[in-house]
Amino acid sequence: MRITLHNTEIFASTGGRDFDSTGNVVIFIHGSGQSHLGFMLQHRFFANRGWQCITPDMPGHGLSKGTAIKTVEAMADWYADFMQATGITEATLVGHSMGGLIELELASRYPHLVSKAAFISTALAIPVNDALVDLASTKESAAIAAMMDWGHGSSGHIHEHTMPGTSHMFYGKRLMASNTQGALHAGLAACNAYTNGPTAAAAITCPTLTIVCGQDRMTPRKAGLALNRALDGQLVEIPHSGHMSTTEQPFDVNKALRAFF
Amino acid sequence: MADYKFDTLSLHAGQSPDARFGSRAVPIHQTTSYVFDSTEHAAALFNMEVGGHIYSRLTNPTVAVLEQRLAALDGGVAAIATASGMSALFVTVLALCSAGDHIVSSSQMYGANINLFEHTLKRYGIETTFVPPNDPTAISQAIRPNTKMVFGEVIGNPGMDIMDVPAVAKITEAAGIPLVVDATFNTPWMIKPIELGANVVIHSLTKWMGGHGIALGGAVIDGGNFDWGQNDKFPTLTTPHFGYQGAILWEEFGPAALSVRIRTEGMMNVGPCMSPQNAFYILQGLETLGLRMEKHMSNTASMLDFLVNHEQISWVKHPSLSNHPDHEAAMRLMPKGQGSIIACGIKGGRDAGRAFIEGVQLASHLANVGDAKTLVIHPGSTTHSHLSADAMASAGLTDDLIRISVGLEDIKDLKDDFKQSLRTASKVAAAKGTAA
Repeated sequence: MRITLHNTEIFASTGGRDFDSTGNVVIFIHGSGQSHLGFMLQHRFFANRGWQCITPDMPGHGLSKGTAIKTVEAMADWYADFMQATGITEATLVGHSMGGLIELELASRYPHLVSKAAFISTALAIPVNDALVDLASTKESAAIAAMMDWGHGSSGHIHEHTMPGTSHMFYGKRLMASNTQGALHAGLAACNAYTNGPTAAAAITCPTLTIVCGQDRMTPRKAGLALNRALDGQLVEIPHSGHMSTTEQPFDVNKALRAFF
Repeated sequence: MADYKFDTLSLHAGQSPDARFGSRAVPIHQTTSYVFDSTEHAAALFNMEVGGHIYSRLTNPTVAVLEQRLAALDGGVAAIATASGMSALFVTVLALCSAGDHIVSSSQMYGANINLFEHTLKRYGIETTFVPPNDPTAISQAIRPNTKMVFGEVIGNPGMDIMDVPAVAKITEAAGIPLVVDATFNTPWMIKPIELGANVVIHSLTKWMGGHGIALGGAVIDGGNFDWGQNDKFPTLTTPHFGYQGAILWEEFGPAALSVRIRTEGMMNVGPCMSPQNAFYILQGLETLGLRMEKHMSNTASMLDFLVNHEQISWVKHPSLSNHPDHEAAMRLMPKGQGSIIACGIKGGRDAGRAFIEGVQLASHLANVGDAKTLVIHPGSTTHSHLSADAMASAGLTDDLIRISVGLEDIKDLKDDFKQSLRTASKVAAAKGTAA
């Protein structure tokens, strides 16, 4: 699906199915430097099981035009506008990494739009090493390589993949490299600057699920557990996954989401 | 955890020890098909909602380990293993080209590649313009509005002409078409074309990658670095696929769109799949690729020194030699070694050449390259014999050309074998009065 939002052409994957905004809508919110492809093994799965899945690429990411949004708060406002533009009045949110921070803001400031919220490999705050933020600006390919290294667990590093013949590491690198120059830096800087997580989490009243991964070096397990305590919701732990859990351990992620939905 | 290096990936990529039995070696899943958990599971697999296996023409667990190892070694987003290198090239063309399309191809390459483009594809309405691989200007000028790919061997067979991959990649990027290269003669140990701008890599795994000469195989490595949506040249990837509920592969699978198309069309509808047994054999070879390539290179350097200084040899061609026309590009692109194929001419022409080939005792006279054992052949009467005289000349093939694939034997034994056979050749040449 392609729509125009804020005078910018936006692409949104609907998992290969027609989208009905009046149905049981699930919005997947991607992380920094990512796109709808990070949820490739979720939105097709759920779209073919009756959910109305929609995964927009934020401006400057994936197949969307435009330039990246600079703050988590503004990103949450953008998703609220996206919902209005596509006729979605209420949805279940699924956010990964920075997508989880956006989800905290969206669910706390627009509670009428959110029925449930699932948080995958994320935290109340995602401080980013200043050197990595700078690297994303000065040598983006090196920043991407570092993030792929830190972002994957053991199966990712050994290039296993549930989709036969596919390499986690190189697929991830190419996905991130295909974004508009500067999108990664904007996302990392936005993560670094975001401090409202505890306040936002305390304001969320809808049911929540937190998925925490044992080999996550970007939003470590203890940070995920802290988020879950703040949300006081359901918790699922996936021991053998790194940060990129939606592609690294899709069966476990989908099983947890399906039970939660 | 770490970002594993080449030799580690050669041994481990694509496989964790078997979870059920702890098998350290890659298990051979000698099966055609796979039991579904439920009808829902079956539907999910057919619709590519989840990963897994349906039928071994499409995917197989043993073959998948090989594919993931190959993708890891070459820096690709995905790989598809095929029955041979030729079928790897064919399914790639099938995914990108249709009747009315055009290909720009190297003129200096393996005879079957040339025949595929010149004769077979032409019957299906796909035309090819052949140009020298080491002439970027000629490549640029041959590109038409309906050109869908530029193809060439990184190291040409058998003349070892070098394609300057970064230079050609700039041309194809500007033209909005992919650069597809055959990297059989270099392997990812010598050069990784995707890192230099190539978009798709083809391998005959039968050669150095396997190294043992016991299993045929090929592979397509999808670089994932081409924007298929930048123009309207690639409708197979940017418009609804006839399978999979009309999925638009570029939107659904992004960087892996080409490999998904190849698997869901080339492998599904044509079926040149690799057997799991062959995948296992090739995996055994890959485990020692780095070690073998080092020895191939050192033996080649010694053999070159021997041949260049031998009185019975009239000329020697190898990219490492300063008189090779692509010497500069070879040394720049492949500093670890410039390949283990040597072309040379034996004084005395065809008869002396035949005597040499029939006289070697350690080296084997056969139609293959990249084996651990040293191989020799006369291309003019074998691998390239089906080419026309013009095509032979265009490919740089002369009547006296002998192709040597330098193996891993002790180099002294190899030199001794060549010495005794060259003595025989010199006697034949002397008897015919053609030694000079």
